[in-house]
Amino acid sequence: MSTGIVTTDLRKTFPARRWQGWRRRHVAPVAAVDGLSLRVPPGQVTGLLGLNGAGKTTTIRILSTLLRPTGGTVTVDGLDVVDHAREVRRRINVISGGERMVYDRLTARENLWYFGQLYDVPRARLRTRVGELLDLVGLTEAAQLPVERYSRGMRQRLVIARGLINDPAYLLLDEPTLGLDAPIAHQLRALIAQLAADGVGVLLTSHYLAEVEQLCRHVYLIARGSLVAQGSPAQLAGQTVRRHTVRLVLSVADPAVTAALRALAARHDAELIVDVDDGGRPRFALRHPEDLVGVVVTAVVQRGATIVGLTVTPPTLEDAILTLTDPAVMAR
Amino acid sequence: MSHALRVVAAEALKQHRRLFGQPLVLFSMLLWPLLTLAATYYTVLPVMESATASQRWPVAADPRRLLAFLAAGALAYTFFFSLVQSAWHFSFERVSGTLEALFLSPANRMALVIGNGAAALTQNAWLFGCFAVAAATAADVLDVAHPGMYVVAALALVVPAVAWGAFLNSLLIFSRDSAFLYTLLDDPLWFVAGVRLPLFALPVWIKAVGVAFPLTSSLVVLRGALLDRADLGDLAGALGWLVVLTVGLFLAASALLRLGEARVQRTGNLQVF
Amino acid sequence: MGATFVRNWRITLRAYPWTYFVGTLATGVLTIGVSLLAYRAIGGGRVGASFTAATGSADYLGYVTVGAAALTFVTRMVLWVAKAQITEYREGTLESQLLTPARRLPYLVGVTAQALSTTAVEVTVLVAVASALGVRLSVPDPLVLLAAMVAATVAVVGMSVPLSALMLAAGEAHITQNTLFTAMALLCGFTFPTSYLPAAARWLGEALPVTWALRVLRAATLPGADVDPWPAFAVCLVLGGAYLLVGLSILPPAERRALHRSARA
Repeated sequence: MSTGIVTTDLRKTFPARRWQGWRRRHVAPVAAVDGLSLRVPPGQVTGLLGLNGAGKTTTIRILSTLLRPTGGTVTVDGLDVVDHAREVRRRINVISGGERMVYDRLTARENLWYFGQLYDVPRARLRTRVGELLDLVGLTEAAQLPVERYSRGMRQRLVIARGLINDPAYLLLDEPTLGLDAPIAHQLRALIAQLAADGVGVLLTSHYLAEVEQLCRHVYLIARGSLVAQGSPAQLAGQTVRRHTVRLVLSVADPAVTAALRALAARHDAELIVDVDDGGRPRFALRHPEDLVGVVVTAVVQRGATIVGLTVTPPTLEDAILTLTDPAVMAR
Repeated sequence: MSHALRVVAAEALKQHRRLFGQPLVLFSMLLWPLLTLAATYYTVLPVMESATASQRWPVAADPRRLLAFLAAGALAYTFFFSLVQSAWHFSFERVSGTLEALFLSPANRMALVIGNGAAALTQNAWLFGCFAVAAATAADVLDVAHPGMYVVAALALVVPAVAWGAFLNSLLIFSRDSAFLYTLLDDPLWFVAGVRLPLFALPVWIKAVGVAFPLTSSLVVLRGALLDRADLGDLAGALGWLVVLTVGLFLAASALLRLGEARVQRTGNLQVF
Repeated sequence: MGATFVRNWRITLRAYPWTYFVGTLATGVLTIGVSLLAYRAIGGGRVGASFTAATGSADYLGYVTVGAAALTFVTRMVLWVAKAQITEYREGTLESQLLTPARRLPYLVGVTAQALSTTAVEVTVLVAVASALGVRLSVPDPLVLLAAMVAATVAVVGMSVPLSALMLAAGEAHITQNTLFTAMALLCGFTFPTSYLPAAARWLGEALPVTWALRVLRAATLPGADVDPWPAFAVCLVLGGAYLLVGLSILPPAERRALHRSARA
């Protein structure tokens, strides 16, 4: 029996219908996930990255039994998610960013008790588990207040606790830190790392790539429902040309400075874009794998020009995603 | 089985928190039904006082019996309508996102809708139930053949009501326009079920529609057992049909849940029917 | 005022609350239906002497039908007029409305004019359904009927304004409106003469302008009821005016309270 969540050639198409006059007509179905194979092993955090609409949420909904795949298979510790949906539901849970999925009229303690009953958590275990989770997310003091009196951050922390009520063997996190306050997001990241260290298999989608770089041992990058790259965050970033960008604004136009920068760009084989900013002042953007800010500033200052704006953008995983999922790049 | 019972217990807590101490319950489950009952009584009174009415319907001759007849109707209707209300409320879980949390869990879906209905019924209707028992005792209108018939009447009211609630919950959580169903099951329900008139006064086609609703037969049993000294033999037909309807409603609820969830899993759209 | 009228019509046509309409219409039609069936199947087409004595007429079905139509009219008008402000409050437009120098009375007249036009259609539909069911109404005296309509409108607007203030102050409409509707259906003599009621309830009914508007309406529509409508008409105008004045004086504090609450939330 294979452990972990394993998808093989996973496909999901949604029946699409469109209004045409008074009738709704079936049109060509839309593929949200298209032949995706991935593995979420226990005891580590696996990342699932992609632009909006790449199929991340659909994938998570299939893994959590909320959607049924159109093709391919998903197994959780060898159990098929379609044939053994109930058993799979006991082993997994989902935390989505935002404040949904809890009841306003119930207190935090009652919400957790309620979902614990639904998950059939053994009675004795549920009693201790609710207390543990309230401690974990820092809601012990507010545990007896109805959720409708909570702040957003408190509700989001309760949503996180709800996702852990059944001690899931696998946790699917769909943008879990979306909209969280920085300290809470920080705590959640620490919690995710701890859960993985304790043996939980975590699948994480996130817009915050620093988060992914920090937590994930393995990352799948998808676009239009298909896999485009995978590997450790470092490997993935290495697959693309990552470049520093130096942006420079001068007080007045000076042909000598422009000529010097062009020569500098040619010498380093860097990309140079020359235009003007909103104030009509000359602006230069220089892109190169190395950080050229030192030589650029020297060249400008030597010619007596005045720098009024200077920014340096280091390369990010985001560049990698954009490059790898850009259709133009993929076509090359 | 014990998992199913835990789901029911969980739903009971949810309904308790949602409804207990809410002024709306006091108004919609006691005050409005009583005011409406009084208005109905006075509206039909001129007809009941006509010279020939008591020949056609003996109850018409005695204002106390007439009021007891209408009050039994109001009681049963309040029970059944409280489930329409709670199902309507259940449908909002789709919007609030908690329905998804329910579908994520391994809880038996049927246990969820039954638990939700049963818990809503007890939270909603206990007040009017107590009131009705107290009023009936004080007014001395009960005419019961055998003490066991109290149990029969109570079961004939509660069990089909729970089945009705399970069915409505299953229907409304997937329904596109639950407000319309809510309206459809408000006034038309009392009309076809003989809540305010004896069944013989209804035209055949309305009676035919009414037979499909468990409220109609529940009322026949309730009135027969508590007001007209009917015994099991007298009520066998109505009770048999109630059993058929109750089983049918549970089966329909189960089928709706299975179809609805399968459809949601296929299309990703929670609005199915 | 004209602007309020036009705007409300636009909103109505865009998002007409059909479900609400069907609900209200069903209540009216089914009330008539119950009376009709009871009258034919149980009463054998006759009513008791107490009804004839109280109303001066034996036209039970006409009485109930006109009463159900009037109840539909009153319910729908109250829903439009009394709920206008709490709806604005909920949609967040109350504040911007209060910022304008417009006074409250012209605003209410605008809402009322628009409500009258939609409600007239709905009452017509109800009466048409009743005739299709076989209810025959006598031809009313046009002048008295007009007076009854004026009286009913004054009564409804008069009651709606304090009700609107109550809803704003309580931040709640559902319980308030339905309690009023069920209480009015019992106390005002819509489907049975108020003389059937116990004395205490009857006096409560006398304090509501709608009860007096109904008396004018009965004088116009009930054959054989030979009563002078004008004293009731006068009482209705005075009572309605009093309610309106009380309402207008408690509206501003209620508005302040509502805005205060939303500022806190």
